[in-house]
Order: sequence, then C-alpha cells, then structure tokens
Amino acid sequence: MELLLLFISTVLINNFVLSRFLGICPFLGVSKKIEVAFSMGLAATFVMTLSAIATWLIQHYILMPFGMERFLQYGAFILVIASLVQFVEMFLKKTSPALYQSLGIFLPLITTNCAILGLALLSALNGYDLITSTVFGFGAGVGFTLAISSMAGLRENMEFGDVPEPFKGVPITLITAAIMSMAFMGFSGLISM
Amino acid sequence: MMKNPIARLIIVLALISIGSGLFLALTYTYTIPHIEANAARDQEVAILETLPDAVSFEELKNTEFPIYVGLDSSGNEVGFAYVAEGGGFQGMIGLMVGVDPEQEIITGVKILSHSETPGLGARITEAVFLDQFAQKSISDNFIVKEDIDGVTGATFSSKSVSAILEQTLPKAVEQYRESGGGK
Amino acid sequence: MKFGYEFIKGLWDENPTFRLVLGMCPTLAVTNAAMNGLSMGLATTFVLVGSNIMVSALKKVIPDEVRIPSYVIIIATFVTIADLALAAFFPEIYRVLGLFIPLIVVNCIILARAEAFAAKNSIGKSALDGLGMGFGFTWALTFLGIIREILGMGSVFGIKLFGEGFVSWIIFILPPGAFLTLGLILGLFNAVLGKKKKAQCS
Repeated sequence: MELLLLFISTVLINNFVLSRFLGICPFLGVSKKIEVAFSMGLAATFVMTLSAIATWLIQHYILMPFGMERFLQYGAFILVIASLVQFVEMFLKKTSPALYQSLGIFLPLITTNCAILGLALLSALNGYDLITSTVFGFGAGVGFTLAISSMAGLRENMEFGDVPEPFKGVPITLITAAIMSMAFMGFSGLISM
Repeated sequence: MMKNPIARLIIVLALISIGSGLFLALTYTYTIPHIEANAARDQEVAILETLPDAVSFEELKNTEFPIYVGLDSSGNEVGFAYVAEGGGFQGMIGLMVGVDPEQEIITGVKILSHSETPGLGARITEAVFLDQFAQKSISDNFIVKEDIDGVTGATFSSKSVSAILEQTLPKAVEQYRESGGGK
Repeated sequence: MKFGYEFIKGLWDENPTFRLVLGMCPTLAVTNAAMNGLSMGLATTFVLVGSNIMVSALKKVIPDEVRIPSYVIIIATFVTIADLALAAFFPEIYRVLGLFIPLIVVNCIILARAEAFAAKNSIGKSALDGLGMGFGFTWALTFLGIIREILGMGSVFGIKLFGEGFVSWIIFILPPGAFLTLGLILGLFNAVLGKKKKAQCS
C-alpha cells in the first residue's frame, strides 16, 4: 500500500519534470512528436528503474561498508549510470534489433539526463530500501513519460497555432510547461506522505 | 597490436580515478571536522533554543529517539528536548521540540531538516510560525487556522508540523518519564 | 584581445542560459530567490573553471576513446569538492541548494565546455572560458532569481521592497513561475537579439 502511494505521488505530485525540475533537457528537446517522446519516455523509464537498483546496490554494498558514501557517491553513481546505459544499448542491439531501432538513439542522451542521477541521489538521501527504490525509479520514469508525452501532444497541436516568431521553440514550450505544472499542482496534498 | 592502446586506456582511466579518489579523500578529511562541527553546533543551538531556561544539556540513554535533558546553571532539570520526524509536503520534516514536563507545555519548536518548497513550505522554519507553539499544552491538537496560523500558501506544510507534534508528544513524554527523567 | 574575448563571450554572445539554452534544470529549480541563483551560479563557476583547467591540462594524456568517462570523473571530483566545501563553510547555502549541488555533475554546460573548448585550447584560455561561461550563467540565474523574488515575495536578496500592503504573487516562486519567467525572458531575448542556433546537448 505504501509502495502504491509512493508510486502515485512520484508520478503525479512530485513529478520529476514539472515539480522537481529534473530531466528538463530532453523534456524541451525531444518533445516535438508524440511517438518519439513516448519512446524516449520508455527508454528513460527502463534505464531509471535499472539504475535505481544498480545505484542502490553500489551505495549499500560498496560505498557504505567502506564509509565512502559522502565523497565518492557522485562519481560512482554517474559512472554506474553511464556504464549501465552502454550495457543496455549493447544488450538491446544483440537481442532485440527492433526495440533497439526505436529506443537505441535515445540511450546515449539519457546518461546526461539529470533525472537519473537525481533519482539515485534522492533515493539514497531518503534511505529507501531496495524495493522502495525500485518503485521510486519506476514511478519517476512513468512520471517523466507522462510529462514528455503530454507535452509532445500539446506541441503537435501548437504547430497550427500562430506563435509569435521569437517565442517559437523553447520559449513557448516553457510557457506551456508552466501551465502544465500549474495543473499538476492540483495533485499536491492528494496523498499525505 | 591491439593490446597497447587498450592497456593505455585502462591505465589512464585508472590513474584519473585514483587521483580523483585521493584528492577527494584529502578534501573529505579536511572538511569533515567542519561539517560535523556545524551539525553539532546546529544541534546545540536547537536544543538550547527550544529550552529557553537551559544553559546545558545531556542526552538520555536507552531511548527510542534522541531525548536531551536541559539543565539550568545550578544543574537542575528544566525540561527536555526531543527529535521528532514525520512526513511533510515533499519529504520528511525533522523537528526539535522542547517540553516542560511539569507544566506539560511546549517550550519551543525548531525545524532541523525539511525539503519543503523554497519560499513557501520552507517558511515553516520562521519564528513567526514556530513561536506560536510555545506555551501550548502538550495535549493540544494544534489545529491550523484555529489554534495556529499556518504559513501563507503552505497550509499543508503547516499542518504537517502540527501533526508531527500531536503524534510524537505523548510518546516523548512517556519515554522521558520511563528513562528516569523528572523526579 | 583574443584572450579577453574568451571571457566576454560567455557573458553575452554565448550566454549559456539565454543564448545556448543549456543547464536548464538548475536554472529552473534554484532561481526562486536572488541569493539562491547567485550561490548556484558561483558553485557552477567553480566547477567549470576547475574542470576546464584539468581537462585542458590532461588533453594530451587522455585517449579519445575514454575522454567522456575521464571528463565525467574530473567533473564529479570538482562537484564533490564544491559540495564538501559548501557543507563545511556555508551550511546555510548548502541547505537551500541541496540536491542541485550534486546535479552540477550532469549540468550539460560543463561537459559541453570540456568537449567543445577545453579539450582543444590552452590552459589559460580554458580557464578564462570557464570563468566567462560561469559568470554568464551566474548573472542569468541571479537575474531570474531577482525577478521571481520581487514578484513572488516582494523582496530582493531577502530585503523587503514594498510596504505591508504588498500581496506577493506566490506562483512566481513555485514551479510554474519558473517555467513562465524563463519562457518569457527567453522569448524577449529572441525578440530583441534575433534567434540563435541552439547547441543541444543532453
């Protein structure tokens, strides 16, 4: 039950993109087409869930036993995430070329997606156990997918709108994000954690 | 042929990692006393602020959560402070709560840690809000908007503080008495 | 002259926030008050200068194949130093910026400057480039912080500007205000200066 609440609150209330400002770069950059945005979201969800697990293991079995979590954490986490992304890329290429075709190009972009490092750091900071971390990672990914896909849906429609020239691209996307973020604020207080 | 370049890659990466590790270990050993001193000072300030009559304190042993007994200049007990924790709007809120167990009132509340919205929920740390809890009975319900004025725009965070107090106070008093505090 | 430009360009022509549109996460997250923007900008500047110098110094030693992991380690090292130093000497600032200090590691400005500039230029130029970009980022964040703080709290750097009657526009220090302010300012910059090709990284 608590896990379900955590999942819902990660997706809707503390949405990574709209209320924590994590993963803004792909949110602005890869949100022109729904299909593309959705694939990006899937790839990110996949990597986020895996890295939640991997960084948890690193934190609890390597960093903490040696008392190094305070000063080697950032470097260790980012390297784990980078290697994980590389590994997933190679694995997909070998086993499922079709999936690789649709998700592959997004994988390298994910390494520098701050949502993933943010996720790892947040779950270490909150002292989640392995299962909670995994749910948190998955929820963060789903929230990211939700935000980026809905943004892409809005942007597809805005193609026909008469946006003033200087506001085309990033500025109007940000303003749209402001309205979305306001809508998502309606969820806050839905669940008291 | 292939071996040399790959060996070089590994050596360079390893050297950079070792260098970085060493450098960080040095920075860590240099900064950690300051970081710990900051934490200790924050704690001391928090305990003494929530127990206005105390000039020193000592920690009670064998309690489920930290309880500190405040002492005045002649060594008499003037109350106790304890660390409480509970959920807020976005994450956990940690509180230091000072209690006068004889009169059964709160003597002070201070926020130790939180991750509330900056500028809104984060204003629960301000004295205007926290001072309202002082002198209230420990059996109070601290209802926001009735007993307590919440922080504007952060009703949820304000209610969280009230809820944490309401939930932890009875337990803390019980623990204090069981561990031989008071008479 | 050439050297001066490496510094100046980051402030305006290639301002990382308003012209290159890089490092949006901290830009949105910590600009709810002028002081937060300023501190975040300075912390980032420190990391930028440090990593630019190191990357430039090691550019001949690091093989091309492992340059990204090497840069990442270097950047993570400087971020951890900044993190520890802030926690030790500026605990107040550290508490406010919290999670966004470690996230400097994945701030694309830093990796982008290491890749695009420091790996090809001398140590001196790289240091100036880092300093310029860092200050460009800092003033942008402080500027956004000032706007949002005035509208959202009626103060600048914590100093109240208006009388008691001022009703603050809380939405500006909330997430929607972050998106809205940045969107409007970026649009204004485009309108005044013309559009610039954006360097996308992550």
